[in-house]
Amino acid sequence: MGLGRYIFRRFILSAFVVVGVTFLVFVAAQVVPSDPAALYAGPRPSAEQIEKARAELHLEASLPERFIRFGKAMATGDFGVSYKSRRLISQDLAAFLPATLELAAFSTFLALLIGIPAGAFAAARRGGWLDRMGGLASIAAVAMPAFFLAMLLQFVFAKWLGVLPLSGRMSREIAISAPLAPVTGFALIDALLSRRFDAFGDALAHLILPALTLAAYPAGIAMRLTRSAMIEILERRHILAARALGLSGRRILFGHALPNAVGPALTVLGLSFAFALTGAVLVEIIFAWPGLGRYVSEAILSKDFPVIAAATLVVTLCYVAMNLVLDLAQALIDPRVTLK
Amino acid sequence: MNRRDLLISAGLAPLALQALSRWSVAEAQDGSRIFTLANPTGFPDLDPSTSFSNDGLVLANVYESLTRYVPGTTEAPASVAPLLAESWQATDGGKTWTFTLRKGVRFHDGTELTAEAVKGSIERTMKIGGGAAFIWSAVTAITAPDPLTVVFSLSTAQPLDLIASAGFAGWIISPAAQAQDNAWFNAGQDGGTGPFRIDSYEPGQRVIASRFADHWGGTPEGGFDTAVFEVVEDSVLAQSMIESGNADWTYSLPFDNLEAMKANPDLQVVANPSFENLFALLNTRRAPLDRPRVRQALALAFPYDDVITAGTAGLGTRSRGIVPPGIWGHDPEAPMVMTDLEAARALLAEEGLADSGLELTLTYVTSDALEALAGELWKANLETLGITLTLQPMAWEAMWDLSKADPAQAQDILLLYWWATYVTPYDYLFNLFHSEETPTFNLAYYSNPAFDRLIDEAAALSGTDRAKAEDMFKAAQRMMIEDAPAVFILDKPNVHILRSDVKGYADNPAYGHVVFVNDLSR
Repeated sequence: MGLGRYIFRRFILSAFVVVGVTFLVFVAAQVVPSDPAALYAGPRPSAEQIEKARAELHLEASLPERFIRFGKAMATGDFGVSYKSRRLISQDLAAFLPATLELAAFSTFLALLIGIPAGAFAAARRGGWLDRMGGLASIAAVAMPAFFLAMLLQFVFAKWLGVLPLSGRMSREIAISAPLAPVTGFALIDALLSRRFDAFGDALAHLILPALTLAAYPAGIAMRLTRSAMIEILERRHILAARALGLSGRRILFGHALPNAVGPALTVLGLSFAFALTGAVLVEIIFAWPGLGRYVSEAILSKDFPVIAAATLVVTLCYVAMNLVLDLAQALIDPRVTLK
Repeated sequence: MNRRDLLISAGLAPLALQALSRWSVAEAQDGSRIFTLANPTGFPDLDPSTSFSNDGLVLANVYESLTRYVPGTTEAPASVAPLLAESWQATDGGKTWTFTLRKGVRFHDGTELTAEAVKGSIERTMKIGGGAAFIWSAVTAITAPDPLTVVFSLSTAQPLDLIASAGFAGWIISPAAQAQDNAWFNAGQDGGTGPFRIDSYEPGQRVIASRFADHWGGTPEGGFDTAVFEVVEDSVLAQSMIESGNADWTYSLPFDNLEAMKANPDLQVVANPSFENLFALLNTRRAPLDRPRVRQALALAFPYDDVITAGTAGLGTRSRGIVPPGIWGHDPEAPMVMTDLEAARALLAEEGLADSGLELTLTYVTSDALEALAGELWKANLETLGITLTLQPMAWEAMWDLSKADPAQAQDILLLYWWATYVTPYDYLFNLFHSEETPTFNLAYYSNPAFDRLIDEAAALSGTDRAKAEDMFKAAQRMMIEDAPAVFILDKPNVHILRSDVKGYADNPAYGHVVFVNDLSR
């Protein structure tokens, strides 16, 4: 099977996932016992207000009719308004999603940067002090709860050393004196676009601690996976042949062993990226990071269904896109996967 | 990378961090003119017509209403003060209200405040019909006979001066902004007359507002230039911020931490009574709680002092009836039920329920620690009387659904908080105890025609003869204490923490957790 067909097949499968999730979200909304009209009508609704809300939300329409209406809205990106705040959901997503994507992408990048080379080195120095230290560090990174690590990092780098900001996405001084014009919603990119290096540094400084907290777990896992895969591969005959040909250790490690070993680690990183989109609620709260996780968890607690549906769909799309990218990356690094 | 490279990198990392922190901006030039509020929640809706949540903190600094409620103190009774309206008059037995507007008031967009703008604002709010728009439900027509006079016609007599002072749905909006939709406001724009105007809004993070130079009240001596409303959900973080001076005001920190903060010379801890109270509604439609004496026995068995001590660090106060102090119509001499297990036992025996193995169910909101504690301690007391109380924590929506269904199948006891949307005793008495065909908030399912008549009459009088209305409301509260459809537990404290160099702070419980930054200086 060629690379083109492989990608095409992955693409079709992804489309099925998105449609399936849309259907499941709709079904879940029907099954969960709650009265959307009562929520939409506000905190202290009268009977008339609830009736009015029922009509506005088309709750009297038949089930298939409502599903079609819902499917159409989702397909066109018209997520409607939040039952609770009546804000446009697309407006909220535009505000919260970039913050989360920025954090998730940066933390995945950190995990990649730390986890995979560390695993490779540990395998190369198997049994040495570096390997043992790395093993210990990876266990600590995986075992430590995110909220504890977050507070530890805050204590050391923000309170004690005072080198990194405690919380938030950007200093209020920047927001007051010379606010950054939002173009993409990604603070780092916006800062570069407007050549605001002060804002870039500020945004980067704010990103480090929450991203490190989120990166710890996937980095630990990626390190262990890479290490064990590398150990197996380093004993294979093509590595022996490379050694016999007199290639340098570094070249053997990164040019011949690592590409065969990173597959599982990349998968884990992809999954952890998707998890970080909505699963990082605690980290977002502790660092006052204005992200999607906080937004969605609030919606879930108040059964704000349109918000949950919209967020689920957006996260599904991100997840599917991430998986496609990963599949592609794996196919490029290791062409054997397209044959499976 | 060899071992040496590794060591060098490890050594360089802290230096790089140092450089980065220099790079990130240092304190602004004059931080003393910035007032930073660390608010434990976000601001879901900045549309002044539909806002009905924690966004009130921001809007109360940006918009103004016709009047403002001034809570009663031991020195002065509660009153309604002029704000955008300078004076007002009720005629036609409280069914017509004429407001005369303040001269020379400008909106943030430069246009002048007119009667048409007031009419348009209230009409926008009524037309959208979201949030607290119901406060205007009696309004049938608004007219603007001249640029500074607004006339409201009502279907029934209502205290419109009080209604206009509400912390929600009463904001006056500039004509240009009235034409905008919800998304426009939530993109960080405003159309108010208040002392501050919104510069920027970063959802989930902060609102920045700067002083409006053309405010009709002028700029007070030493007033702040900028108000920053930071969203800080984590109470540990909020505490760090206020202790380090990164925030000037916060609330909702755990009561256990207050002692340490009181001892900190950099901080002031301010506790005030709020207009929010906690009570237990007893199912009056289900045996044996359909009998007043059984309900009284339950009230006698409630551990009031223990709940206040353990649940609010002693800062809460015992409720005297349903209307909290500071609200006109509060009855400071109303009788207070004291915990008395022997008296409760005697009452139960008279009702033939001594050690009857009675089983009751109490529902409360899952995440509410104070309610959970109240339930546990009450349960312990009732156990000694041979009553088994089953505690049933539920999500609010599920709990409300259950209680709105058939009273015969509903819970026996429900814990609830209440506060008034606008400050009138009728809000508490009507919503909680007035007969209802289908239950909404009268979740004691209480029905007493004499009581209904009394409060309806008092409400009709409260626009024209407030003194008489007040007496009638007090009588109605005593009826509730005697008949005991509810156990009145405590009035919640409002505890706010400020930096000690902030001057001029006074909490106004009519506007829960709202700071009027214009009143403050450093």
